[in-house]
Amino acid sequence: MDKYKNIWRKNLIKTLTLGVFLFLLSFTFEPYNQGQLALVLMLFIGVLSLTVLTGASGQISLGQGALMAVGGYSSASLITHLGASIWIGFLVAFFATAIFGLILGTAAARVSGPYLAGTTLVIALALPSVANRFESVLGGDVGLIVDFGTPPTWISNLIEVGYEQWQLWVVLPVALTALFFISNLMATRAGRSWQAVRDDEIGAAVSGIPVARTKVIVFVVSSAIAGLGGALYGLRGLVGPSVYPVSLSLTLLTAAILGGVGSISGAFIGTLIVVFLPDLIDWAISGLAVSEQLSNYLPALLTGFLLLATIIINPAGVMGAGHRKKH
Amino acid sequence: MNTFISTLITGTANGAIFALAALGLVIVWRGAGVVNFAQMGQAMFTTYIASNLIASGNSYWLAFIVALISGSLLGMIIDLLIMRPLAHKKSSSATKTLAGTIPVIASLGILAILQALAGIFWAGEERGFPTPVNSFYFKNGDGTLPFSAFNLFVIGVVLIVLLSLTYFFTQTGAGLGMRAAALNPEVARLSGIKVSRMRTLSWAISGAAGSLAGLLITPSTNLSPNTLDLILIIAFTAAVVGGLDSPLGAVIGGLILGIGIALVTTYGSPENVFLAILFVLLAVQLIRPNGILGGKQVRRG
Amino acid sequence: MKNLMVSDLVTDYGHVRALDGVSFIANSGEITTVIGANGAGKSTLLRTISGLEKAKSGTISWGDLLITNLAPEEIVRLGVAHVPEGHAVIPTFSVLENIEMGALFRKRKNSTDVKVAISEVLDLFPRLAERVKQSAGSLSGGERQMLAISRALVSRPELLLLDEPSLGLAPLVVEQIIQSINQLCRSTGLTVLLVEQNANTALAVADHGVLLALGKVVSDQPAAKMRADSALRTAYLGY
Repeated sequence: MDKYKNIWRKNLIKTLTLGVFLFLLSFTFEPYNQGQLALVLMLFIGVLSLTVLTGASGQISLGQGALMAVGGYSSASLITHLGASIWIGFLVAFFATAIFGLILGTAAARVSGPYLAGTTLVIALALPSVANRFESVLGGDVGLIVDFGTPPTWISNLIEVGYEQWQLWVVLPVALTALFFISNLMATRAGRSWQAVRDDEIGAAVSGIPVARTKVIVFVVSSAIAGLGGALYGLRGLVGPSVYPVSLSLTLLTAAILGGVGSISGAFIGTLIVVFLPDLIDWAISGLAVSEQLSNYLPALLTGFLLLATIIINPAGVMGAGHRKKH
Repeated sequence: MNTFISTLITGTANGAIFALAALGLVIVWRGAGVVNFAQMGQAMFTTYIASNLIASGNSYWLAFIVALISGSLLGMIIDLLIMRPLAHKKSSSATKTLAGTIPVIASLGILAILQALAGIFWAGEERGFPTPVNSFYFKNGDGTLPFSAFNLFVIGVVLIVLLSLTYFFTQTGAGLGMRAAALNPEVARLSGIKVSRMRTLSWAISGAAGSLAGLLITPSTNLSPNTLDLILIIAFTAAVVGGLDSPLGAVIGGLILGIGIALVTTYGSPENVFLAILFVLLAVQLIRPNGILGGKQVRRG
Repeated sequence: MKNLMVSDLVTDYGHVRALDGVSFIANSGEITTVIGANGAGKSTLLRTISGLEKAKSGTISWGDLLITNLAPEEIVRLGVAHVPEGHAVIPTFSVLENIEMGALFRKRKNSTDVKVAISEVLDLFPRLAERVKQSAGSLSGGERQMLAISRALVSRPELLLLDEPSLGLAPLVVEQIIQSINQLCRSTGLTVLLVEQNANTALAVADHGVLLALGKVVSDQPAAKMRADSALRTAYLGY
C-alpha cells in the first residue's frame, strides 16, 4: 500500500503546483484570456471524462456532451428553482450524472464499439427533445439562465475580482480536484483492473476481476466527471440545448484523440488545441482577404483533418506513444 | 381514416429511403467491418453536386446519375485513401485496444471534413431540392387521394434497387466474391478473391445507396451541411433493429422506423421523434442485441 | 516437371519462431507428407507457402517461380491451392456456392472449363453432388472436408496443400478422403503436400515424408523408410 501512498503524494504535489502556477498566471492575463483559461479548464474536465472511459475501456462515446448537459441541467435547475449555491450545484451535478451513468452504463456494458458510439450519438441528439418535454423545469428550447455570480464579500473586500477572474477562481479548484481524483484512479489498483478488463476481458475474468461490474463503474466515474464539467460549462450564462450540441461531444472526442487516448497530460494538450485553434486560425487569416464562409468553416475543416491525421499517423495521439511505453 | 392511410404511405415511402441508407451501412459493416458515420455526409455532399447541376440548368436525371456515380467514387476514395491504410496499421500494439473504434473515429473526421467543405463551397444556408415528379397528393374529383406521385416514385425506385442488389449479391460472381470476402476473408483469399478490392467495391455500392437516399429524402428535409445527420441516426437505428449484419433486416428496420416516425409525427408530436428513436435503439439492444434478424454469432467490434 | 522447393524458411508466429530454417523438396506428381507433433510448425509451413503468413527469411520456389511472400490470391493463380485446417467452408453458403467460390477468378476467361471442373469434383465426391443446394453448415464433418477440397480443386491446381484433412473425422471417412486424394494424384499428376498428425495414415499413401519438430526438419526420407523407422517414431511421435 506504500506504493499507492507515494503516488497520491506525488499527484497531490503535481496538482497543487499546477494550481498555484495557473492561479498566479491568471493575474497577468487580460479578462478575455482569463475567460479562455476558464473555458479550457471546463472542457478539460469533459475531456478527462472521455480519457477515463476510452483509456480504461477502449470505448468511445459520442454523447459525452449530453452527460455534461445532465450535469448542467441538474445544477442549473437547483440554482434557479431552489436558489442553491453553485457549490451545492456542483455536488448535485456530480452525483446526479453518476446515477444517470449507472443507468446508461448498465445498458452500455452490453454493447460495444460502434454500437455504443451510435447509441451515445442518439442520446446527444435526443437532448433538446427531453428539454422540451420537461419545459417547466428545464426551460425548453431556451434553457435556464445561470451564471457564476459574484465573489463572496470576504473576497471582494480583500481584492477586486473581475467576472472572468472569479469564473476562473471557481473553475480552477473544481478542475484540480477532478484532475487529482482521476490521476490517482488511473494509477492505483482500480485503474489497473480497468485496464486489465480493457486489454483482455477473459484474462481479467479468470484473475477474479468482475468484468461487467468494472465496465459499469468506469461508466459511472466517467459520467460523474462529465456532469461536473457540464455544470461549470453551463454557468457561463445558459444551460440549454444550444449549449450542449452534438458538436460539443465531437469536440471533446477530438481533444481526447488529438492529445492521446488515455493520457491525462494529452487530454490537457488536446483541450488547448481545440479551444485555441479557432483563435489561431482567425489570427492566421486576419491579413488575408478570406470569405466569411471560409473563415466560418475553417476551424471545423482543420479539426477534421487533424483528427484524421492523428488516427492515420499515430493513433495513440500526441502524448500516446511515450505514455504507453511507461506502462 | 384518410389521415391514417396517408400517414402509412408517407411512412412507407420514408421508410424505403431509411431502408436504403441502412442497407448502405450494413453493406460496409459486413464488407469492411466499419460502421460508417460519414455515410450521410457523403450523401449530403453528392446531393449538393446534384443541386448545383440542376441550378445551372441541367436536367434532374443528369444530376441524379452524376450524384450516384460521385457517391460511389467518394466511397471508393474514402476506402483507398483512409480505411485501407488504417486496416493495414491495425496490428500495431499501441492501437490494439482501439482497433474497433479507430474506423469509427476516422469516419467522424471524414464527416467533419465533408460538412465543412460543403459549408465553404455552398454556403451554410438551407436550400430546397426538387422532385422529378409531382409531390402533391393526387386529385380525385373534389377530394384527394392520400398519396403523391413522388411517394410512388420513391417506393418504386427503392424496390428496383433492392431487387437489383439481391440479384447482384446472390446471382453474380462479384456478389458471391463480396459475400465470401465479408464472411471469411482467409478462405476468400485462398480462393483467389481479391479481398481488398471487394472491400472497395462495398464502399462504392454503399456510397451510391447513401447518395440515392440523399436525393430522395432532401425534397422533404431540405439541404444543408447538417440536415442528413438525422437520417444517419435513423439509418443506424434501423440497421441495429435489423441486426447490423442482415441486409433484409436493414430493410425491415427501415420500414419499421419510417412508419413509426410517421405515426409519432402525426399522432404525437414531431419533437418526440428523437425520444422514440432512442427508445427503440435502447430497447432493441437490451432485449435483442442481435436485432430481429441477426444471427446467433457474437458481434464484432 | 514443377517441384516445390523450400529453402531455409523462417517464419514467426506472433513472438514465437514457428519455422526455424526449414528446407525440403516436394517432387512433382508425388504425395509428400509433413508429419510431426502438435506445434511442430506444420500448419505454419503450409500457411507460409500459400502466402497467409509472411516468411521472415528463406525462399519458396514453385517450378521456376519464386513465390515467397506473394499474396495468397496471387499464389492460387499460379496453381497452388491451400485447404486450411478445420474444414474451411462458408457455412451459410450453399454447397455449390462454396465450390464456385474457388473458381471465381477463372470464371470470366474459362467459363466452360469451370463448369467441367465443377462436374469433375462432384463426380469425385458423389455425396456432395446429392447436396449441391443444401447449405454447407448442414453437412457432416467429412462432407465439409470434401467440400473444402473441392473448392480448392476447381481452381485447377498443380500443387495441393492439405492441412490435417483427418482432423475430427471418423477413420472410415478419413480413409475415403485420403484415397480420393491418392487416386487424383496418381491419375492427374497432381502434386500434393499433405500435413498430418496421423502419421500412419499419411505415410501409407505418401511417396515421401518430412518430419518436423519445433520448427526444424529432423528427418526427410522416402515414406516407406520413415514408416519402418521405429526409433524415429518413438522419439518424435510418441508411439
